[in-house]
Amino acid sequence: MMSQSASDRLSVALSIVAALLIGAAVIALSGTNPLSAYGEMVDGALTGSGLRNTTARMIPIVGMGLALSIPFRAGVINLGGEGQMVLGGLAGTLCAIYLPGPPALVMVASILAGAVAGAFWAFLAAAGQIWLKLPILISSLLLAYPARAITSYLVRFPFADPTVTSSSTVPVPDANRIPKLPLFGGVSASIVLLAFFLIAIAIFNQRTVAGYETRMTGLNSRFSRYGGVGVDRQVVWVMLASGALAGVIGTHLVVGETYRFLDGDLVASGFAWTGLLVTLLASHRPLPLLAAGAFFSALQIGGLAMQRNVNVPWQIALVVQAVVIVVLAGRFVLSWRQRERPDEIPLAEGELTVTGEV
Amino acid sequence: MPNALELRGISKSFPGVRANDNVDLEVRQGDIHAIVGENGAGKTTLMSILYGLTPPDSGEIVVDGRTVRFSSALDAIAAGLGMVHQAFKLFPTLTVAENVVFRNEPRTGIFLDRDEAAERVRALGSEYGLVVDPKARIENLPVGLLQRVEILKALYRDAQVLILDEPTAVLTPQERDNLFVTLRRLKDRGRTVIFITHKLNEVMAVSDRVTVLRGGRAVAHLDTASTSPTEVSRLMTGRNVDLDSRPPPSQLGSPVLSVSDLTVSDDDGLVRVDSVSLEVRSGEILGVAAVAGNGQHELVEAICGLRPADRGSIVVGGREVAAADMAMTRKSGLAYIPEDRHRVGTAAGGEVWANLVMGFQRRKRFRRGRFLRRAEIDEHARRIIADYDVRVAGPAVTAVTLSGGNLQKLVVGREMSHAAPLLVAEEPTRGVDVGAIEFLHRQLVEYRNQGGGILLLSAELWELLALSSRIAVMYEGRLVAELDPTETDEAELGFFMTGGSR
Amino acid sequence: MFDQLFDGALLESVFRALIPILLAAIGGMVCERAGVFQISLEGMMLVGAFAAVAGSYLGQSALLGVTIAMVVTGLFSLILAYGAVTRRGDPIVLGVAVNLLALGLTSFLLPQLFGVRGVFQHPRVDGLDRMAIPVLSDLPLIGQALFNLTIPGYLALAAIPLIWLFLFRTPIGLRLRGVGERPASAETLGVSSTQYKYAAVVFSGLACGLAGAQLALGNVVQFAENMSSGRGWIAVVAVMLGRAHPVGVLGASALFGFAEGFGFRLQGNGLPVQITEALPYVVTLVALALARKRFQRILELTAA
Repeated sequence: MMSQSASDRLSVALSIVAALLIGAAVIALSGTNPLSAYGEMVDGALTGSGLRNTTARMIPIVGMGLALSIPFRAGVINLGGEGQMVLGGLAGTLCAIYLPGPPALVMVASILAGAVAGAFWAFLAAAGQIWLKLPILISSLLLAYPARAITSYLVRFPFADPTVTSSSTVPVPDANRIPKLPLFGGVSASIVLLAFFLIAIAIFNQRTVAGYETRMTGLNSRFSRYGGVGVDRQVVWVMLASGALAGVIGTHLVVGETYRFLDGDLVASGFAWTGLLVTLLASHRPLPLLAAGAFFSALQIGGLAMQRNVNVPWQIALVVQAVVIVVLAGRFVLSWRQRERPDEIPLAEGELTVTGEV
Repeated sequence: MPNALELRGISKSFPGVRANDNVDLEVRQGDIHAIVGENGAGKTTLMSILYGLTPPDSGEIVVDGRTVRFSSALDAIAAGLGMVHQAFKLFPTLTVAENVVFRNEPRTGIFLDRDEAAERVRALGSEYGLVVDPKARIENLPVGLLQRVEILKALYRDAQVLILDEPTAVLTPQERDNLFVTLRRLKDRGRTVIFITHKLNEVMAVSDRVTVLRGGRAVAHLDTASTSPTEVSRLMTGRNVDLDSRPPPSQLGSPVLSVSDLTVSDDDGLVRVDSVSLEVRSGEILGVAAVAGNGQHELVEAICGLRPADRGSIVVGGREVAAADMAMTRKSGLAYIPEDRHRVGTAAGGEVWANLVMGFQRRKRFRRGRFLRRAEIDEHARRIIADYDVRVAGPAVTAVTLSGGNLQKLVVGREMSHAAPLLVAEEPTRGVDVGAIEFLHRQLVEYRNQGGGILLLSAELWELLALSSRIAVMYEGRLVAELDPTETDEAELGFFMTGGSR
Repeated sequence: MFDQLFDGALLESVFRALIPILLAAIGGMVCERAGVFQISLEGMMLVGAFAAVAGSYLGQSALLGVTIAMVVTGLFSLILAYGAVTRRGDPIVLGVAVNLLALGLTSFLLPQLFGVRGVFQHPRVDGLDRMAIPVLSDLPLIGQALFNLTIPGYLALAAIPLIWLFLFRTPIGLRLRGVGERPASAETLGVSSTQYKYAAVVFSGLACGLAGAQLALGNVVQFAENMSSGRGWIAVVAVMLGRAHPVGVLGASALFGFAEGFGFRLQGNGLPVQITEALPYVVTLVALALARKRFQRILELTAA
């Protein structure tokens, strides 16, 4: 979607620097030496078990970033990743718990179930835009709340584990859990799946006809329609893909990480929102998205270490990552996206006439 | 008496275009002064300069003997100029009175004095014959009345010099006559009117003096009484308008487009195209003449598959496409040059190659299975860039850097490059300079000679007259006449376009 | 069953739910009229709630809390104003980012300033008192709901006619509407769209400050992480549904307030809380679906 010019790269870099400086100022104001705090962060994110945790956290963050990048690239803003992720997560978990059969098959089935549930929820938003003219931006977001409510109800009542006080399902049987790889001391095998999605999306974007068409729709949907692209059908497809991937990530978070679907857990993680920031930072391109996801994961894991060691709340990581996007989107530094804005096309002779204006 | 307004040596360049070149202009107090010129002659730029919207590169503006410098429209208003833009600058959901008094509101205490505002509008209206209901909302008014509101706005701000940019383009003949009455009344009350147009009969009918612009220069200053339409038109075009230079007719082939009994509605459900039937054969250019907003755009959208038809049939390349989408009509053999190259015809943020393959990206030639054949696409893009003289470094450049004329060549090149049997060309030369216009005209004629059929829509009647094999006139959604361009003229076309009938 | 459901107590809980939404929606409405697409109501409300609790805690005064909430959100809104108006950044991306910034900032400051996680309650935090209007508050059914409110509550209700007067009866309101509709036309007449847009955004900040204060010092007396929980988004929808008209926005907000109040009541009648909490969002979606075709502007904004 974005032109990948040097000035864009520079403005991204400057935004990150600015956000880190603002974060440092906030830490300093709260009475801690920002250098030592950031030092703890780096240590915590990259050394010892930190490296494993950072890598593990990249799965949901990069995964949700990828999921949201698909519609974003086509100009469709899916703010409902959270709902799609949570519903998908529950569907996948229930499959992994209750479906009989050989573990490998159950695992595949639960990932598919997660994908289907997430895709279904995303489809509702797409259908709303096409048939009811409800903007996906709003409907996808609002749909997240009933999704939470549904999962919350299901894990508190029909599928509750009566033996624990917290509201959660019973644990996923050992055999059906997504295994850990011997990487940095145990990262979920889901990372292989994530790598596959990343490469597939990169190829789709760069090389395929449909990838070209979605990019053009994102740049100018009227142009796409004029070129014979079925834009409505495309909206449905990108939302289905987005929801499906979100559902898979939700499934991974339980079947590959926590093994119990605990009410509110997936929402509290904020992965859907961090994923959104990641795709914005990376201009919806898969490889920069990987880098941005690694950066935000390290921030969060490092933040947790910082909280343990110098008692600065880890949420400073959330502040820094939001500030990066505020600075970038608000074009507080340089002119990110400036050239894409059609209203800034210089007027030439004869073009002061705008047809259709009153 | 001093001149109400003078321009001295005004020059203005845009990238690639010298829009105004040392233009002088003297407008006498109390005159109706026409400024005429072809599309691209620099009229609109001159007016934006005059109105403080665009700063000139050099030259000065003198109002009432005082040199002024405008940094915004506000300065121009303060100096006593009032402009009626071609695209009206009104607020659709506000009332007439609110639009007129905007920013100079009468008040009672902290509140807007709405009665006073309405009264002022009514008083001005009856003085100048500009009757409008002050409480009506702009969005509910017909175009002719909108223009009155614009004039009232200028008068309310006590404009001594009114500048009207192509004021009759959107008017019915009745409304146009009313406008001329108003202009004369303004003149009688001592106000000065500058009137920009390219329509000769209007110049002759209403003006006292004429300034002719051509290629950005003021080539003549004339008294209307002592000139003739022939002289003005020769000065405008720089040549004798002779229909002998029309391209010779080519061999007619089979129909490439057959529309019968087509009815189309707009988004609000209003019927915009009413039982239209027409046919375009290969080797001919069918021109469609209509005043803006008479359904011609909806007709084109329906033919292309961008707007559903209520009723009727559209056959392109032997296939019924009334219910088809754009992908299907393109497959059936249709190419389309849209009127708005920025909003519809291109994606500014995309590369030149991405803009050049659109519409044809699913052709076998450009893909292998689901994958793009980038080498083939780049090759195709390079050929169009060369053949259509698009001034750009290469296919990988982002389209936003192209000038208007280059962008138009890109669109035209893309649509022509596949030799579709039917080419729908909507305003193919709007807003491009004279050199590009000639180039594009040659391309259209060549396309026809190669056996293509063209449906040509243009607001420029001379363009229709110069290119078309036949001209169909559309009025209020219906085809009201079909004329032979060798046997008609702008006046007759205008007569039918504004609802006249024999 | 119905006479059990409809009574003065129900109306009271409807107004409880309604007032924060209405306050935020009033801010959003003015922005919409000025042509600023304002979707950071949610975040500003959250910041307002936090600042209100912090202010009330520090000064042991609810009014001080309200004042501080408004000052802080007013300043916070400048981020959007500068980015979207001056720098002409994408208002949607910016709005989303500002919401997340608010969430991050408040959940960072909560443990940092008060040393607690999740929820902060303290006897020093002074809650807003409800002030009964004599006689009127004794009216049956509506008395307690309408005439026994907090200061932000009265302000919210008073704002509806006042803003109507401002928008439709004053020169400044006229100019604001003009700026929102056709900024270029307004500029040619010498009305700076930047000034009006800034004013509108800051106004929405102040309104969200009040909304947050009502939420955290009126409806309850505490701050909880992410306590705005989607109310700001419902306010965004209320602006759309109410077509940015004071009466329409009041009606739309009332619909959601009713859904929440009604859901609260249904809980008492045995429905699980998880289902009833989703009710306002479901009602919102259904209302949007029924309204149809009102969102051309936002569809155009989002379709690049």
